[in-house]
Amino acid sequence: MVDAALSSSGTTGGSRSRGPLSRVDAWSVGAVILAGLLLLPVAAVVYAASGSSGDLWAHLATTKLPLYVGNTLALMVGVGVVAAVFGVSSAWIVYRYDFFGREVLQWILLLPAAVPAYIVAYTLTDFLEYAGPVQGLVRDVGGFSSAREYWFPEIRSLGGAVLVMGAVLYPYVYVMARTAFSQTPSSLYEVAIISDRSVFRTVALPMARPAIVGGLTLVLMETVSDFGTVEYFAVETLTLGIFNVWIGMHSLAAAAQIALVGFVFILVLLTIEQRARAERRFTDPASRALPLPRQKLSPLGTLGAIVACLLPIGIGFILPVSVLVGFILEGSSLAPNATMLAAAQNSIMLAGGMAILVVAMSAYLGIVATYRGGRRLRLLTQIASVGYAFPGAILAIGAVTVGGAFDALSVRVLSGGLGIETGGWLSGSIGLVMIACAVRFKAIGYGAVGAGLARVPENMMHASRTLGRGFAESTRRVVVPLLWRALLAGALLVFVDVMKELPMTLLLRPFGFETLPTFVYQYAKDELLEEAALPALAILVTGIIPVVLMNATLERLNRR
Amino acid sequence: MSRFTPPEVARFFRPARAASFPAVALAGGLAFALALPITPAQANGEINIYSYRQPFLLKPLLDAYEDKTGTKANVVYAAKGLAQRLEAEGEQSPADVVLTVDISRLSVLADKDLFAPISSAEIEKNVPAQFRHPEGKWTALSLRARVIAISKKAGDADKLKHDEDLATPAWKGRLCTRPGSHVYNRALLASVIAAHGVEEATAWAKGVVGNLARKPQGHDRAQAKAIMEGQCDVAIMNSYYMGKMMTSDKAEQKDWANAVNLIFPNQGDRGTHVNISGGGIVKTSKNKDEATRLLAFLTSPEAQRIYAETNFEYPVNPAVKPSETVKSWGAFTKDKLSIEKIAELSPTAQKVIDQTGW
Repeated sequence: MVDAALSSSGTTGGSRSRGPLSRVDAWSVGAVILAGLLLLPVAAVVYAASGSSGDLWAHLATTKLPLYVGNTLALMVGVGVVAAVFGVSSAWIVYRYDFFGREVLQWILLLPAAVPAYIVAYTLTDFLEYAGPVQGLVRDVGGFSSAREYWFPEIRSLGGAVLVMGAVLYPYVYVMARTAFSQTPSSLYEVAIISDRSVFRTVALPMARPAIVGGLTLVLMETVSDFGTVEYFAVETLTLGIFNVWIGMHSLAAAAQIALVGFVFILVLLTIEQRARAERRFTDPASRALPLPRQKLSPLGTLGAIVACLLPIGIGFILPVSVLVGFILEGSSLAPNATMLAAAQNSIMLAGGMAILVVAMSAYLGIVATYRGGRRLRLLTQIASVGYAFPGAILAIGAVTVGGAFDALSVRVLSGGLGIETGGWLSGSIGLVMIACAVRFKAIGYGAVGAGLARVPENMMHASRTLGRGFAESTRRVVVPLLWRALLAGALLVFVDVMKELPMTLLLRPFGFETLPTFVYQYAKDELLEEAALPALAILVTGIIPVVLMNATLERLNRR
Repeated sequence: MSRFTPPEVARFFRPARAASFPAVALAGGLAFALALPITPAQANGEINIYSYRQPFLLKPLLDAYEDKTGTKANVVYAAKGLAQRLEAEGEQSPADVVLTVDISRLSVLADKDLFAPISSAEIEKNVPAQFRHPEGKWTALSLRARVIAISKKAGDADKLKHDEDLATPAWKGRLCTRPGSHVYNRALLASVIAAHGVEEATAWAKGVVGNLARKPQGHDRAQAKAIMEGQCDVAIMNSYYMGKMMTSDKAEQKDWANAVNLIFPNQGDRGTHVNISGGGIVKTSKNKDEATRLLAFLTSPEAQRIYAETNFEYPVNPAVKPSETVKSWGAFTKDKLSIEKIAELSPTAQKVIDQTGW
């Protein structure tokens, strides 16, 4: 039964039987164009990198570059390990065990996804620094009167950055792992139980590995592109180096070249992910088996489970919320005003619009690449995710370059060629913010679509086509209904990501357009986050709604 | 794959029979997006500003301008990349004026030829030539001194009279700074390079790094805080932060300010390093008269008083005196070095920062 349940397949592609050159496939052409458009801002960065950087590389190689690379790799490894441990262990605990509080924990585990990393960095520092409650206690207990009299770990450090980023990024792993655990046929778990082997190590972990690697890829892309946290903690990573070279040495070319170094790290990761997915494609068309019953935990086990789940939530959500609420209660925050409300409205509209656009785009690319494309198209649509690996400000420069070129061209054609007077369409419009967001967050939507498609039995499409339905109709009547919960989960992830997006919106937005993060940033930049505590809290609270929806979606998706 | 055709899914998609799912979703997304404001066409009596200064700092000045002239100012604030945005937007740029802090950013904009020359007798009258671009491409709007803060508890404050002294062994393990690559420190180092040459400046930066009590971190306020907490005795900061902390409505910030005395370095010789905030008119602006009027207003006594009183900066217009709080720190001599030299030496300074690990 187990064998029958797993139809492993390395080869896909319904179009292959027709022969590659029989006719041009409009669906694939559309996918190539869309992926190409998504890659344009990245291409603009590559173009910027082709400029001369003089002797800067010789200078960098003998000074800071080894440090930048070393710190970036250490940060990636650290954040990867923390996110994997937090994400996988909590997912397994809420999947496998039945204990008091499980229902609540399984959704609040998603909450840190809504928190911008720099807010956690700021509030964790507030909590752990000299003037904070923890060190205050240390001084009271130890009878110390100055910082030089006792040792306390430096929060503004690589370790601090690992902890902060691990605590806000683990939900990507958690979502993927939890879904994978419940999608694994329970018959497999039963085999492990019957043969008295560790269910987690022999079945759950190996079966969930592609999903976990998928989640980790997103985590690491976000890690490489982070600026806010590493700047606040003064950890000299490649991203910090990019800005030192760009702003300090006035060399955008060298900055773009350093960004490409980070990009190479990500290409390696994407290749690994692609491998992980390709090797482990399986589906379970039978799926009649009952879900694996959860194990009841003892009171002590319950305590352990709750503590293990609360640790990441504590750092990634409870702490920042408490500190922000504290600021508001002590009266440090600005009172709500019209600008703040408009910013909140703009944030929600932008995040909502982008969630739909990004997921629609990802679904199109994913479905066409899976069912109509060959290896090369799948690779191209996958590569179109790389925008996520660039620091937002650098990607924004790419977007503004493309937008400016487009405007110049359209004005030349329309007013020069056709005599129609027109201004720029993209420059200084919300459209440019949306394009940049689409490029950056396509990876999130595509990840969710990919995970969903991997679970759609391939023979469903073939069966539908055999029954005489066209590709469009088969997609609509067979694939999309099987996929739509994965699409919803992807949309909600994109929503929370756009809600907290800062650097691209900051640079590209039109006049009079504030979002909650841009409003908060003008204060946070001067270490005055307390004055913007209310809008900062609004970012977190707005994130709760999609997170609750996402949890409900996952519940249904996981059918238990 | 749990349920192949859930009835609610089937119902959901039935009305959309004619269109494919992506089309429906795309239409929905576009509808959402169209509800957002599209590029505002510039109305009469408005002016568009790209600013490296936070809007809440500009607000009192722009409000005063609107009261006086009826012109409404629209601001896009960003910390990085506005020069590249202007460059890419080219002719289509909606911006009229750029306001910045730090001379290097102004120089980058002038070097990229993104500024139009300002022609205003009023600005020439209000701002000394030292603080204007030779061809009038930008003008300074306010000045800030990079000063040394020393713990009131330190008994040896008299040993600290020059920026050069920060590198001497007396301050080993007693110095706090923000990272060297921050624009304010980079500009300070550029002034040291101008005074002593790269080699000596490198040795100085090495000395500074060797004296650090902790890894460079935090902003300028955080340095005063570290002194109050006993992590260090000496710090480098911009003058106006002292005024902001002294007048903060938060008791803890007053405590930070009260823990330190200010030293204006190099009074015996070249004078204390100063930097500027400034502005220029965008070359492609279709609204240059209004832009000129705004910049002239910002150098006028009325606006200069706002810079002085609300932001504790030194007015660039000599006719306006600093605020009482700022005056209480005493008068000082400014470094006479051409402000443009600082911008010119900035890349060299960043190299020294990289070499010394500041």
